[in-house]
Parts: sequence; structure tokens; C-alpha cells
Amino acid sequence: MTINIENKNNDETVNSLNKDAESSRRNFIFGSVAAAGLSVAPGMMLYQTANARSLSDFSLKEGASSKVRWGMLVDTTKDVDWNKCVDACNKEHGLGNEKNSRDDQKTQYIRVVDVKNKGTGYSMSLPVMCQHCESAPCVDVCPTGASMKRPDGIVLVDRHRCIGCRYCMMACPYKARSFVHEVLTDQTENTPRGKGCVESCNMCVNRIDNGQEPACVEASGGAIIFGDLNDSESPISKILSKHGGKQIRADLKLNPGVHYQGI
Amino acid sequence: MWLHLNFNFGFNSSFVRKSLQKLPLTVAGLALIASLNTVNASQDGLGPKITLPENSEGKSCVLPSEQMRREHPDLLKHDRIQTLREGVRAKADDKALDGSLKQCVNCHAVKDESNKFVRIDNDQHFCVSCHKYAAVSIDCFQCHRDIPEGSGAFHALTNHKDVNYSNVVPGNYSLTVKDMANIAPEVNSDDN
Repeated sequence: MTINIENKNNDETVNSLNKDAESSRRNFIFGSVAAAGLSVAPGMMLYQTANARSLSDFSLKEGASSKVRWGMLVDTTKDVDWNKCVDACNKEHGLGNEKNSRDDQKTQYIRVVDVKNKGTGYSMSLPVMCQHCESAPCVDVCPTGASMKRPDGIVLVDRHRCIGCRYCMMACPYKARSFVHEVLTDQTENTPRGKGCVESCNMCVNRIDNGQEPACVEASGGAIIFGDLNDSESPISKILSKHGGKQIRADLKLNPGVHYQGI
Repeated sequence: MWLHLNFNFGFNSSFVRKSLQKLPLTVAGLALIASLNTVNASQDGLGPKITLPENSEGKSCVLPSEQMRREHPDLLKHDRIQTLREGVRAKADDKALDGSLKQCVNCHAVKDESNKFVRIDNDQHFCVSCHKYAAVSIDCFQCHRDIPEGSGAFHALTNHKDVNYSNVVPGNYSLTVKDMANIAPEVNSDDN
């Protein structure tokens, strides 16, 4: 309900956005699009689509803010073909254009992991991407500062600084990173990638900065929720506080931004 | 340089032969030829050939051409840090950042005879046309896309200031040796 009220305020006084610098990004994502969500219970939104932000939204000028912590919640109990998310990811970032690499060398931002309990025979699958840790080991070990965490919690590689040492790949407990082994052509405009650099899921940082959800979230049909973990009123925070969620390898105390249900 | 002089001697051979007998006149004559060459420099045919974008009449690049020639590396370096590391995607005036390589490519993409964008391995590519002449080898396009996505038509010049620089007219140009000498950037070793 709070979301709708915020939205109304935004419509009435556009200028208030500019005054309230710190919450603009949040308002935009969650405020202006509340009606588009699919609700499963009163007051609880399962997912919502975000309108594309125009360049006039001032947070584009402000840059990433530490007031926000972007995160994702993956509901593995949903009957979803996770490969749809992988395909959407590949399309968004132009992955899969390696010609000479072996399959195990090719870049993947999302892996679909199948797990089976041999005792009971229960099996399930879950998508595993960069978990966007709060204390990211890849950032700790990077010798050049290429592996970095934005103020809003997104962990990504600055390819301008990456020397391809692959220390981060060794450090990552989630095996989330890939190394490009060959000369690439035909990259997408928004995801430059090339030989000799390590890369991984960047939570579709180009889309987030433009007010869109990550590609996998859009393709998941509501099985992945994206939102601000710092905002207790955001759908993702509400669901997490009500129903809980698990982080993979929570024992490492890295506090990943990606949470799971049903694992 | 040798070719340059040879051409002029051939063209003015009788003048040169006569003036060799009178040394002061020779010197004056050579100086005259040299100065004519600088004035009439666009005809020297020795500099790189560049192609300015279609539909660019009445528009300019983010800075005047003379400044762009010298300062474009600084713009790109500055704004890549802003964009990637800080998440800043627009300037205060809501327009795209000056140093957006995507925007450079969208405007400056060159088409070949078959109306297809030329890629980075082609000497006609806008960036390559100068960099090859100046023996600059940079790595931008090992990662960045070298041609626009789609037709590129939707992006062309949309973010540019509406300033008319009369020297910006689409078409093929030949930069001169003097132009290129003026472009040579100051060497900085300040960053990554």
C-alpha cells in the first residue's frame, strides 16, 4: 500500500523527486509500476514489470547509490524451465559466440544446476549465477581492482582493468565466473566482452540503470523476483521477511544478494 | 615526406633547375613551395582519408572537430570510469555522456558499397582510418561492438548539441599531414 501512496506523490509533484534524491531510483522501480504486478496474496506482489526510465530521470546522473542493495529471490518450487532464463541471458549479453572454445570453456553467466537426493530420489534444479556477495571474495583477491562492487551491491568486472589472471575464478565459491579464451566479434552494444578477460553475471547492470529488470527475471515468469533488499517495503524484502529464503553456502558468511526458496 | 618533396620537385622542375644557379632564390623558392603546401594542405593527399557521417549537416560532434581530434581519448577514458564504476549514465543536461563509445560508433559508422557497415578490420572504419595512419593501436574494439546494432539510424546524432560548424559536412575527407601533426596528444601516464 505504501508503494501506491509513493506513486501518487510522484505523479503530483515531479519536483519532489529531485529533492528526495536518495529514494528516487527505488521509487521509480517500485513506485511507478505497482499496478503491473501479479499478486498472489493481499498486499503481496510476486513480480512486477518496470517501465523504461527516460534519460530525464535524474538518478542516471547520480549514479549507483549505496542506499540501494539490489538482490534477487529465486523460487525453485515453481515449475519453470530455467533454460528460458539462460537463453534470455545469452541473448541480452550476446553470449555463445565462441567458435573455437570447448564447451567447458564457453562463457556462462547462469548455470542450471541439477541436484538429486540419492536416498529419497527427490531431484530439483536451480539457476546459479553470480551471487553478488556483500563481502565478495573475487573483489578481495583482484590484484588490479578490476573485480569490483558497485555501491548498490552489484559485483562486476571492469574489463578496462582486468588482466585475465583468473584469481577471482579461483576465489569464487559459486563458480560463477568465466574466462574468454578467444577473439570475439559481434558483441552486443551494452555488453562489451573480449579475449583475455574474466566475466560474469552483472545483474544486467545496463538494464537496471535504465529502469528495467534483469533479463532472467523478465524471462522467469515470476519465479525470480528482483528488488531492493535495503527497502523493507519492497516486494522482495516483504516476501523474504515473511517466508524466509536461503543463501547458497550461507556458512561462508559472504551475504550474497541472491536468495533462494525451496532449496 | 620524401614522396612529398619528390612530387613538388617534379611539378616545378624547370623552376628548380633555374633557381639552383641562384642559391638565395632557391631557398626562397623552396620556402614558397613549403608554405603553399601548408596553405593548400587539404590537397596533399598524404594524410588519412576519413568519412564523416551521413545526415550530419548542421550538427556537430560533442566538441568542435579540432578539439575532438585531440581530446577524444580523454573523454572516453573519463566517462568509461563514470559509467562502469559509478553507474552514471547521463550528464547534468540529461544527454548521454560525451565519451560514450556506443554513441561514437552509432554516428560514425561507415557503410561500404553494398550498404553494409564496415567492421574494424576495414581501413574505411572511421576509427581505423586515422589510427592506422598514426600507428595507434588501441584495444577498444576487442571488446566493444564496432558497428551499430540494427540499422543505427535511430541513434544517429540524437544526443548531440545543435551547433552548426560549417566545416562538418558529410562526405569523404582527406586529413593533411599538418592536421595529423596537430592531433598528436600529450603523453599522459596517469591511469590504467
